[in-house]
Amino acid sequence: MMIGETPMAKNIMEFHHVSKSYDDNVVLRDISFTIEAGKFYTLLGPSGSGKTTILRLIAGFDQATEGDIYFDGNRINDVPANRRQVNTVFQDYALFPHMNVAENVAFGLQIKGVAKKQIDQRVKNALHLVQLDGYGDREITAMSGGQRQRVAIARAIANEPKVLLLDEALSALDHKLRVQMQTELRQLQRQLGITFIFVTHDQEEALAMSDQIMIINDGKIQQSGTPVDIYDEPLNHFVADFIGESNIIPGVMKEDYLVAINGQDFECVDAGMRPDEKVEVVIRPEDLDITTVEKGKLIGTVATQLFRGVDYQITVIDQRNHQWKINSIHKTQVGAQVGISFDPEDIHVMRYNESEEDFDARLDGYEEED
Amino acid sequence: MKKHHWSWSAIYLTFVFIILYAPIVYLVVFSFSSGKTMERYRGFSLQHYADLFADSRMITIVINTLLVAFLASLLATIIGTLGALAIKDARRPWKNSLLSLNNVLMVSPDVIIGASFLIFFTMLGVRLGFVSVLLSHVAFCIPIVVLMVLPKLNELSPTLVDAAYDLGATRWQALTRVILPAIAPGILAGYFMAFTYSLDDFAVTFFVTGNGFSTLSVEIYSRARQGIDLEINALSTLMFIASLLLVIGYYIISKHGGRRHRIVVVREGDAQ
Repeated sequence: MMIGETPMAKNIMEFHHVSKSYDDNVVLRDISFTIEAGKFYTLLGPSGSGKTTILRLIAGFDQATEGDIYFDGNRINDVPANRRQVNTVFQDYALFPHMNVAENVAFGLQIKGVAKKQIDQRVKNALHLVQLDGYGDREITAMSGGQRQRVAIARAIANEPKVLLLDEALSALDHKLRVQMQTELRQLQRQLGITFIFVTHDQEEALAMSDQIMIINDGKIQQSGTPVDIYDEPLNHFVADFIGESNIIPGVMKEDYLVAINGQDFECVDAGMRPDEKVEVVIRPEDLDITTVEKGKLIGTVATQLFRGVDYQITVIDQRNHQWKINSIHKTQVGAQVGISFDPEDIHVMRYNESEEDFDARLDGYEEED
Repeated sequence: MKKHHWSWSAIYLTFVFIILYAPIVYLVVFSFSSGKTMERYRGFSLQHYADLFADSRMITIVINTLLVAFLASLLATIIGTLGALAIKDARRPWKNSLLSLNNVLMVSPDVIIGASFLIFFTMLGVRLGFVSVLLSHVAFCIPIVVLMVLPKLNELSPTLVDAAYDLGATRWQALTRVILPAIAPGILAGYFMAFTYSLDDFAVTFFVTGNGFSTLSVEIYSRARQGIDLEINALSTLMFIASLLLVIGYYIISKHGGRRHRIVVVREGDAQ
């Protein structure tokens, strides 16, 4: 329905130093970010991190305690929810129980006083987009969970919002349906060309769907970037731990491109730290390989092995009693002496308490030399 | 063995229903007796019904009673529904005390409520009559409505109002187009309950009716004191039939009134 409108590379939404507290409880602390039009954003964080609060501030259900919120260039702090060009898909769908599917989808258009004929057409289009053609006359109670989800999406997009908010929209679905909906949502976003802001606590969902991810914890944005950036170059311990599985080990940065962990020096691709600075090192389990004792950079004993269908989840305890998580498609034997191998680019070094700006500046500083 | 059990429970149930309905049946049967008392049945007659319809005082009282019940339950439904909405939105300490105040009124004896209204109206100088009866009926019907509506409100998803705002509705539109239609079954049930409570109330009404005004229950009581008149049997029979129709009507409305109960053909596909 937005066909003909090409997404423009400009900021549809901006948060400037926004804070939010309920009574004495601070939920958001001095948050600033920008949202580009036409992209799929995900706010990812554990429950209680403040991600849903950000969504409620965008929708207008809650007011910011401090800071400014801009929408399409205008400050909207005082614009009530019913006059914002934003629509929401709620976690529990919040469908109106006394209306059938078509009436639910038509609600927003009727409120706006759109002509009856046009409403019918737009309801039909919206239902088509979520693959519910012909379901208009159904009662909500006669719909399955997955179908209700689609009705909720249709109801929101029928209003042609500039930004669509989705609050844990897939969490009530079973795993198979959820994965299917992830693909469909992504397609729908491309088709409509509008901005999606998706809130979830599920990191796989975030990685699979998003153009941009913002990781929220403790009322702050921990890191934002593309899924690949965040996965490969986590800024801090929280992000590394929250996104994917990881081995996080304390280490010391000897010099640029050389880090000491476990009493051994390893080549790496990180730079820009102070000499002998204490750091944390992240190595993803899938980047570690089991090899022979002779070839291994580290040597240890296999403690556990779990078959997970695609791979084996293996833990190896090294000579310094550190436990390594390894994901491998090759089977090994519990109790066996093995070597662990990895490449310099599999090592990612994180500084303690580095801000996102400093992190980005440092990365820019040495990546040019590559 | 199983059959034996079943028949015992059937006998028990029959026994209970006989005890419950025997007095009413007895009363109904004698309303058609041609005699003047309930001592012996003396052949079929509609004389008492003829007397009843000729008794203009009684007809006036019936109309008054229905009018009070209609108005009292209507006002109580409006106030009670708004009250339930307020209780739902109230914050924690307030919510509990409001609900307790509501429930206290439900369980406190009618005699106390009646007496306190009598004192209250006398103090304010309100003349006892239609207005005093109506006001007191509204008062004791409100808690009933609140108790019928509140569970329906609690069933609603808390995001329903947010969803209405999100789609552009004002507060008023959210209330009238989303909340009220969604809790309509509760409001309807509350209205019917309030209506029946008002219709058959004796204790409260007895205190606050003045000289010129009376309702059925009070009138029947005062006539019964002067000796049973079979005209009352005729009236009670009509009342019983009326309430029976009311119950059947409510049953039909609640069973088939909601569109949601329409049978829909489930399509093939992802319907589970």
